[in-house]
Amino acid sequence: MIRSLAGKAIIPVTVAVTGFVIICCILLYSVMKVDMTADAVRQATVLAGTVVKSTRYAMLKSDDENLRDIIANISIQQGVEHVRIFNKKGLIEFSSDPGEIKHFVDKKTAGCIGCHSGPVPAARLGEMEQARQFVNGKGREVIAITAPIYNEPDCFNAACHFHPPGQKVLGTLDIGLSREPLQQALATMRGRMMIFTAMILILTVGGVSALLGRTILEPLRMIKDYCDSLCRGDFKQGLPRFEGQLEELADSVRRVGTDLEKAGIALRQAEEKLTLLERQTEVPTPQATPPDKASKRAEDARTENRHGD
Amino acid sequence: MRGPRTGMGTEPHTAGPAEPPFNNADPEALRFASLEKIRRLRKTANRGLWAMALFLAVSIGALDGFSFLPSLPEPVKNLLGGSPPTIMISGLLVLYSFSALVLILARMIGDSSAHGNFYHVAYLAFFYGFYHLAGSLADNFWAVFASGVTILTLEGYHLWTWCSKRVKEELEAVERLERKG
Repeated sequence: MIRSLAGKAIIPVTVAVTGFVIICCILLYSVMKVDMTADAVRQATVLAGTVVKSTRYAMLKSDDENLRDIIANISIQQGVEHVRIFNKKGLIEFSSDPGEIKHFVDKKTAGCIGCHSGPVPAARLGEMEQARQFVNGKGREVIAITAPIYNEPDCFNAACHFHPPGQKVLGTLDIGLSREPLQQALATMRGRMMIFTAMILILTVGGVSALLGRTILEPLRMIKDYCDSLCRGDFKQGLPRFEGQLEELADSVRRVGTDLEKAGIALRQAEEKLTLLERQTEVPTPQATPPDKASKRAEDARTENRHGD
Repeated sequence: MRGPRTGMGTEPHTAGPAEPPFNNADPEALRFASLEKIRRLRKTANRGLWAMALFLAVSIGALDGFSFLPSLPEPVKNLLGGSPPTIMISGLLVLYSFSALVLILARMIGDSSAHGNFYHVAYLAFFYGFYHLAGSLADNFWAVFASGVTILTLEGYHLWTWCSKRVKEELEAVERLERKG
């Protein structure tokens, strides 16, 4: 069992404050991580929409060379991991990686299963459902967005094309962005939160300890020292003035000290009187009583006197 | 009630644990009862460690995504409905942690008996479960874990100090009885 007052007072407060601050920081980090990831997905969705709009005219005119050029230019941008366009059947028509052109995408992968989980694929999805997060072949964390390329009146009314009006989705754009900037931002935020938490803890625990020591423990130590000096019979040591309840305690102790001092003086005076009385009442004899017997008798008289009081 | 100040401290000394109310009872029976109480208190003092061990076991299961448990059947899932939003669970966790810590500190200040370690383990297991159903256990696991460790440490510490104090009082009572007998 912890015996010291400081330990008893500080340990529970330290555990409670430290624990609660850590819980709040972890939850705050978690919430901010979700918010930042959603923000990154939103930005990636906007980018995917921009790419779809940019390639629309080239697709409408069936200008494959122009389309390939747009895809190649986008894919060399910093932070873009991959760009590909595949048709309704999942055959990759254009890609930043020439090796995967004319290959089928796996509909069971994380990016495809959202639409293809049921017997009839979903035609429209929300922003978060379009996003998937995974580690690519190069070992980089990626946020990938799949943006469907919808059939529009311009498409099914064009003379050069043969898409029927009933076909809702013509193909899909898949663009993958590196999560590295997001991870760096999260790591920076994590580090700052840890420093902030440590500062709060040092300030709280240190402040509580210092205040407790200054306002309670130090005065208590002084009162204890004063009591010890009283026990030793040293009445000269004083006790400084404190504030509030500690002053009430110190005042009581001071009163006890003063009373003890007065009682000590009274006792000494009584002893002196008694000794004097004994000397006066004793019959003087030439052969004095041995000193040890005389002192014993005086001691007995003193004891009787005390009992009489 | 405080008596008049006599200056010499002649009032009877009343500090220390109160005498048992049945002073006229058999001292041997009282001694036996005290020893039995000490044994129970020492056993109770260890309850905090058991609760912590149970919580660690639950946490290991949660870290693994409760893969050792069978998944809920579809009718049960439909009956339960959708999981609450993660932000709501997190808010509730903060509220629960705050209330639990304040209550434990209040009990420590009031020197009232400690209890409820295993209830806390149950509450924390529910939080793991809710996060798991909401699909955000991986992100929030450490928050629940930190909450559990803090609450159970504080509760265990309170239980241990409370029991140690009672054991000390009982040992003094036994010592008094032995001196009398």
